[in-house]
Amino acid sequence: MPSLVANSPLGDFRQEFDGLEVAEVTGLAIVSIATPHGREAELAGAVLDAWGIEFPPVGASIESTAGEIRILGLQPGQVFALFQRDDERPAEAIARKIGDYGYYTDQSDSWAILRISGDRSREALERICALDLHPDVFKTGGVARTVMEHLGVIVLRDKDDAFLLLSARSSAPSFLHAVVTSAKNIQ
Amino acid sequence: MIINHPLLGPRDASEFTYLGDASLIDRPDWQAEDAQQQFHDYLYLRDNPAGEHRELWFHEQGDRSWLVVTRNTLTHEITGVELARDVAMQRGRGR
Repeated sequence: MPSLVANSPLGDFRQEFDGLEVAEVTGLAIVSIATPHGREAELAGAVLDAWGIEFPPVGASIESTAGEIRILGLQPGQVFALFQRDDERPAEAIARKIGDYGYYTDQSDSWAILRISGDRSREALERICALDLHPDVFKTGGVARTVMEHLGVIVLRDKDDAFLLLSARSSAPSFLHAVVTSAKNIQ
Repeated sequence: MIINHPLLGPRDASEFTYLGDASLIDRPDWQAEDAQQQFHDYLYLRDNPAGEHRELWFHEQGDRSWLVVTRNTLTHEITGVELARDVAMQRGRGR
């Protein structure tokens, strides 16, 4: 029996720059929840019962008060659930909590997650991200899918000066290169 | 060019792909008596206005929604953006 070592998409990358830090986030489960047509209210009710949070509108994310899960409103009919991964299969963990009200897809291994934080993080992002990330427009908890350097990215502002960036695992090194280059360019 | 998405606010046109005339929403009934003629017109006959034009855009690198964008073909000024789903339902489609 071969012994296998699980590697994260970016090898636990972490680098500090003047005014910001770029670091890979590991250990998060990502489950896509697609809303069945006409059963949106039942799904929202199940989410409220399970975690005590409203179903987020497109462009917003809502974290449960205990902090065990965050739900991202990505597009009409689809949200992502982000939570700490344990031994249970992520899609099954969601189904166990909220029942059979949505279509669940485990996407945990499909994404690389970077966290860019620090008071100059917005400055580093503004060179590669066309979105208006000013805190008056893109508030804490805000979420958006966009492109940076031609690569699809989901941007989540999890603090005033910190962003979670999700990009496809298959092109993760190229995405990291784009973010790191942009961080170096403002030094 | 900036497209003011009805749900997400202003987004750069590079996030979108373009399909064509918004009349593509009005797909003919394939069981109609004159379906062949209707599909000929649907596929091949297009207005080519110099001025206001309603067209379908897909927010591929965003929320994957289809939009009906009203754009002036002379100035590229965008005067209206609607969700194509809403437009289709207004025209009597079920969803």
